[in-house]
Amino acid sequence: MKQIEAQRNILDFTLSSLFRRKGKNTALVLVYTLIVFLLASVMFFTHAIRNEAALTLKDAPEMVVQKLMAGRQDLMPLEYLEKIRAVRGVSSVKGRLWGYYFDPYFGVNYTLMVPGNEQIKPGTIVTGEGISKNRAVEQGDFQAFRAYNNNTLLFQITRVLSSESALLTSDLILMSEQDFRSIFGMPRTHVTDIVLTVKNPRELGTIANKIVQLLPDTRPIMRDEILRTYDSVFNWRGGLLIVILSVSVFCFVIFAWDKASGLGAEERREIGILKAIGWETSDIILMKFWEGVVVSLSAFLLGILLAYAHIFFFSSLLFGPVMKGWSVLYPEFRLVPFIDAYQISTLFFLTVLPYTVATIIPSWRAATIDPDLIMRS
Amino acid sequence: MIKSLEVGKVFNMNRPNQFIALNGISVEIPAQRLTVLKGPSGSGKTTLLSILGCMARPTSGRVMLKEEEITSLPERFLAEIRRQTYGFIFQQFNLIRGITAIENIMLPAYPTGEKRTVLKKRAAGLLEIFGLENKAEASIEWLSGGETQRVAIARALMNDPAIIIADEPTAHLDTKLSQEFMDIMQKLKAEGRTLIIASHDPVVYGSAFVDKVIEMRDGAITDSGAKA
Ligand SMILES: Nc1ncnc2c1ncn2[C@@H]1O[C@H](COP(=O)(O)OP(=O)(O)O)[C@@H](O)[C@H]1O
Ligand SMILES: [Mg+2]
Repeated sequence: MKQIEAQRNILDFTLSSLFRRKGKNTALVLVYTLIVFLLASVMFFTHAIRNEAALTLKDAPEMVVQKLMAGRQDLMPLEYLEKIRAVRGVSSVKGRLWGYYFDPYFGVNYTLMVPGNEQIKPGTIVTGEGISKNRAVEQGDFQAFRAYNNNTLLFQITRVLSSESALLTSDLILMSEQDFRSIFGMPRTHVTDIVLTVKNPRELGTIANKIVQLLPDTRPIMRDEILRTYDSVFNWRGGLLIVILSVSVFCFVIFAWDKASGLGAEERREIGILKAIGWETSDIILMKFWEGVVVSLSAFLLGILLAYAHIFFFSSLLFGPVMKGWSVLYPEFRLVPFIDAYQISTLFFLTVLPYTVATIIPSWRAATIDPDLIMRS
Repeated sequence: MIKSLEVGKVFNMNRPNQFIALNGISVEIPAQRLTVLKGPSGSGKTTLLSILGCMARPTSGRVMLKEEEITSLPERFLAEIRRQTYGFIFQQFNLIRGITAIENIMLPAYPTGEKRTVLKKRAAGLLEIFGLENKAEASIEWLSGGETQRVAIARALMNDPAIIIADEPTAHLDTKLSQEFMDIMQKLKAEGRTLIIASHDPVVYGSAFVDKVIEMRDGAITDSGAKA
């Protein structure tokens, strides 16, 4: 009980101490917040991207087969489907219908898709969150689409996708096969591409070879290849961000070091007084500990909040240059908030801990000097 | 109450600037009496006070507090003795700037772990005794010389110590304030406290209620007799 009460008293004094050096401590918190903000931004950003990628790839098919015409992707005739189904080792084959629709009014691309696992009633659509926000429409509203032949088609939104991954579904519109074909004028004899599964994943390469031999104008794409592409993109960007990260850590160390060596004369005098009137070395270290905790924790929380807003609400504004090129992969880019305890604790150990230690060490030295020095000051 | 036995203090031992500040000092500070350490500047009064007050350790010799040897106690115990047994009034008063008078007074009691409300009450009581009740929330910088001095005394009394130590308390005060200070000391003595004051101010060592004057010069005692 006494211990707790003593802690409270000392914490109280710490707070009024901090308040009385307002200018210095505000500056301290600001610098520190900035550093936490940078670190947290980098961390949130990379983690969110990785999370998106993992989600994207989780449900990716083992193999996609496209038809090529003059080196470009072409529509896939349905009879190819049957031919591929006959290849030994192939367990299932499905045609996919998907494509991009350019909305001239908003100047953005949507991904239109016929879902394989769900029947959508003709005349209705399911839209992604991004679209619903963008166009300010919700469930029950009607949406007009201009078809290839200049017809206007009207669809009712029956559902808005709430998603764990914005990249996957933000710009997505699901519709029935019939509606899809009437918008694009795609013949009933064709699909966009084919996805297939195999009985033995180790045979993937052999099966891909067989398909190319059987149908020379096709291109099989394996999930592994997609993974590799993603990986190289991530590594490149990750490397850049690691540079930013290490620079911030470096700045932080200098900052903490400076703080550590710079215990002001007034602070030393105060420590001397407190010792002389009966504070123990441990009480003073406790006080400085609280001081470090208050400064670093408030900066930590502030920095994290700012970084959160920066990455997830302001589309990683500061990382613009690093972000460029993502639009090649994803037409619209808005990361879905993704934070885990691991990130937060890593940040905590990178920032709050060293700072608190940095505040304690110099006061520890000051607290162990003999209190009689204060008698001569 | 406090006894020093052959206490010596050497600064910068074994270095070219080695300095013997105290040379075999044996004094006895009687309980519930007012003892004055008198001597010119540099004679070693402050050095002796800080040793008697558990703030510094002697280079040689021993210090006894209530028959208990304190010279060899670990720092933690010395801090506890400073907190519980001593009240200090420093030459510069050494109050902490930027916080209120009442908070300054409460400071010595924070590590004791008493409830803040209790501490506040006690500090307010002390302020009242010294006629400072309307200065409780004033910042130290705004106090006059006399008020600062009384806040410093109130702080020394916060933990109700048996012994009060004051180092040149009147050095920065005019005669009237010096006299006032001595009046307060007289009251504290009447309450049964032991007082040790280092001073070369005649207002202090010439006071009628001083019980013992120990004269020092060049780190040695020249007269340790009781005052006539
Ligand atoms: N930390 C120190 N290092 C070296 N010399 C010191 C130190 N502290 C005090 N002295 C010297 O010891 C002598 C006694 O000092 P002090 O006890 O302050 O005397 P007084 O209080 O009587 O004026 C002085 O000459 C002073 O210069
Ligand atoms: Mg002195």
